[in-house]
Amino acid sequence: MTITLILAVLAFLALVFLVRLAKGRASVSKVLENPTEHIRSVDVEAFRNLVDPGEEEFLRTNLPPAEFRRIQRERLRAAVEYVSCAAQNAGVLLRLADAGRRSSDPATAEAAEKLVNNALRLRLYALHTIPRLYLGMIFPGARISPVGIAESYEQMTRQVVLLGCLQYPTRGVSAAL
Amino acid sequence: MPALRIFWYYLWIAPHVLQGIILFAMVRRGLYRQFPMFLLYIGFEVWQFGVLWTTSLSHLHFGGGYFHLYSVGLVLSAAVRFAVIGELFGLLLARYPVLTGPGRSLLRGATAVLLLVAVGLAASAPGNGADFLLNVTYALDRVASILQSGLLISLFVFSRYFALSWRNQAFGIALGLGILSSIELAMSAVRLYGVVSGTVFDFVVMGTYHCCVVIWIFYLARPEPVRPQTLHPLPEHNLDIWNQELQRLLQQ
Repeated sequence: MTITLILAVLAFLALVFLVRLAKGRASVSKVLENPTEHIRSVDVEAFRNLVDPGEEEFLRTNLPPAEFRRIQRERLRAAVEYVSCAAQNAGVLLRLADAGRRSSDPATAEAAEKLVNNALRLRLYALHTIPRLYLGMIFPGARISPVGIAESYEQMTRQVVLLGCLQYPTRGVSAAL
Repeated sequence: MPALRIFWYYLWIAPHVLQGIILFAMVRRGLYRQFPMFLLYIGFEVWQFGVLWTTSLSHLHFGGGYFHLYSVGLVLSAAVRFAVIGELFGLLLARYPVLTGPGRSLLRGATAVLLLVAVGLAASAPGNGADFLLNVTYALDRVASILQSGLLISLFVFSRYFALSWRNQAFGIALGLGILSSIELAMSAVRLYGVVSGTVFDFVVMGTYHCCVVIWIFYLARPEPVRPQTLHPLPEHNLDIWNQELQRLLQQ
């Protein structure tokens, strides 16, 4: 009887998820209509500093172990927040660039394709990084250096600018963005 | 003929008539090139209905012979549905080559885990009838429902996490199959332990199937939404860093 209950509850949850998903398709177009609301600010330099192995080593050698663990946990918590923001921005840019892939201009289509690929890589990287950062919070002594995500994010932002330039050649970058 | 019986026949016949329309529309609009497995599934369902309908009208009626045919059809239908799920995975991943590796790993991993869970649950479930073939068929059906709903949920979670855009038709096919598998799973579980009668089971599953066929028609007939092909304004706070990056890009 317990198995019946588990299966029925799981099936019900699956059904609720599917219905919500069908309704949620409308929200995707809302993201496309107004991406500003969904983009969050990411300070790449601050993130680099947070996950810099040199900085970590400096703190490790200059602070008492208990103090280092406390500060390291705080730093990693902030890093998780940065990675989550970067991943969310990647999701928004991915949706925006996805449409650009069908552009009749080959350069725009290529730039959009590259942006899509980089945004996907960033989200994939975030998927690996966030659990590692949480693991680092549990074991503050472990060495974790997800600097790659900062490079990936910077590459993505460069491509956003490039794509904007290609789509608005006469109006400049600011107008495009 | 009582109203309930008429309704039962309606739920049996109407979805297959609608599937005939889907079949015709898919061939006419060339959708069979995109979804050959779904076309095969719809075609098989229509053919199976034809066979079962003819059998029910013959001297066999709804007796043992009918249920043997029904059981074989159920197993074949489940097999084709797996092919449809594979097709949906393939179509989604083909648009995003970066995700081909992770997507395949997810498909393999999810299948292995779900298969273990499904077989474990099927082995621990009691048989509720003397007919061995029917018991085996229902157990296999339950395993297939667990696998199918699990795989489709994995596919949806995967696409949601990576913000992948679905084509309308593929989304509709996956949604319909997902709803059908979930309801079948819930109903087969509650029927197994005698919580609901066979009649209630039939009505709920057949009604769900009817709804899913309507979902398929809706999404297959619906035109793709026109998405803007340009970037929309983005917030000011990211402008500076992006402009700096552009400078760097231009200097390279």
